[in-house]
Amino acid sequence: MHWEFVIPGYLLVFGGLAIYTGALLRRARILAVRVPPERRRFVG
Amino acid sequence: MTATEESATSLEQTVAGATSSRFSQVFGTLTATMLAVFLLFALVFSPPDVSQRDAVRLFYIHVPSAIVALYLAFGITFVASIMYLRKGTDFWDLLAGSSAEIGVLFCAFMLGTGMLWGKPTWGVYWQWDPRLTSTAISFVLFAGYLAIRRLDLDPTVRSRRAAVLGIIGFLNVIVVRQSVQWWRGLHQGQTLDLVDSQLSGMHYFSFFLGLVSMTMVFGWLLLHRFRVAWLETQADAATLQTALAERQAEAADYTARPPDTGGPTTTETEGI
Amino acid sequence: MDELDLTPLDDSSGTPGGRSFRNPLIIGGLLLVLGFMVFQALTSARVFYRNVDEAVAERAELGDETFRLQGTVVTEPTADANGASVFIVSFGGVDAEVRHVGEEPSDLFEIGVPIIAEGHWEGEQFESTQLLVKHSESYVEDNPDRVDYELEETVDR
Repeated sequence: MHWEFVIPGYLLVFGGLAIYTGALLRRARILAVRVPPERRRFVG
Repeated sequence: MTATEESATSLEQTVAGATSSRFSQVFGTLTATMLAVFLLFALVFSPPDVSQRDAVRLFYIHVPSAIVALYLAFGITFVASIMYLRKGTDFWDLLAGSSAEIGVLFCAFMLGTGMLWGKPTWGVYWQWDPRLTSTAISFVLFAGYLAIRRLDLDPTVRSRRAAVLGIIGFLNVIVVRQSVQWWRGLHQGQTLDLVDSQLSGMHYFSFFLGLVSMTMVFGWLLLHRFRVAWLETQADAATLQTALAERQAEAADYTARPPDTGGPTTTETEGI
Repeated sequence: MDELDLTPLDDSSGTPGGRSFRNPLIIGGLLLVLGFMVFQALTSARVFYRNVDEAVAERAELGDETFRLQGTVVTEPTADANGASVFIVSFGGVDAEVRHVGEEPSDLFEIGVPIIAEGHWEGEQFESTQLLVKHSESYVEDNPDRVDYELEETVDR
């Protein structure tokens, strides 16, 4: 009982995580092109 | 399908060069495995609650989202903001901003799952109850924090203002935590207590898995978000340098050239 | 001269998408939302409900003002002539009769459960338009197999 609330809840969290992760990795890919390789990693 | 495969591999290679590392790959695999195990326990293995039935399953994502957003994410933003105001280094600024962004995401999960849980149990999605109101205020404060970080201001001024809001935002989290004790409301009190927990057996285990996997997701995302934030500053610096070089070349070009000639040609090229 | 050459750089310094214009609007919008929420915090959230004993004691002052009443359901709801459900709630040793018209409460509604009813006094009766179930913070596993098994064991002995 109440699965009609449980399913959207889990979809919200897992769907949200998937979308955010996708957007984050895409942004990383776009940005990396603009930065020379030796400066891509943060050092102290 | 070869084209798609090719673009996929090239994408992976670029990403691997951008924000992933050996550690983040191993950690990411572990996190994904934990999430799968968590889903099995949360949706399949754990039994329903005697009165709430399956709605209790929302507890396993609602409470971990709340803990990760309010205490972990906004807590890191709070500490990093204080450190930034004291030390003024990029590291603390970027850490505060990265953590706040993921915190806002988890805060949205908490509010969304909470509303979906409220309907079958309380009978309504939303009420202006002390805890719900104070949580909504937290969400807006940290959304404002993210907006301030994108303002077109002097970077130091911008980071300092954001840091102040990051600290204020976390003070409100204390209000959220205490709201069920300070005021009367619809929201239930604390279920989890180190000494006397109101949760047992499979319910507790499923919640525990939820908390562990959500914390791992947060850690993995924070690592990548921080690296993206670093790339942003480096890309900005690179753009600035390129533009500087271009302008200097332009200026040199202009002074080298006699003033009468070449004027119209420049305008034409600019049009393209 | 060098300073003049640098001026246009501010526009292209890695903040694409018109940050400068859009964000003050977003911040203004957020401030409006925040203002509304603080208003809610100071009005609705501050005194979210009155317990039955308090509401009964303040009946005269409350008049027909709308407020939320909190108490534990003590009787099974019965339908009155107009189709509204009538039941008794209790808190602090004081009882009150609630007459609820409007949407059905959630499935968790039953005797022994604390509820919050929104409405007003109509004489001795509380006229409710919204019924919320205040569920507890404890959870109990429902393991039908296990319970049966234990029962069988007890019966065997």
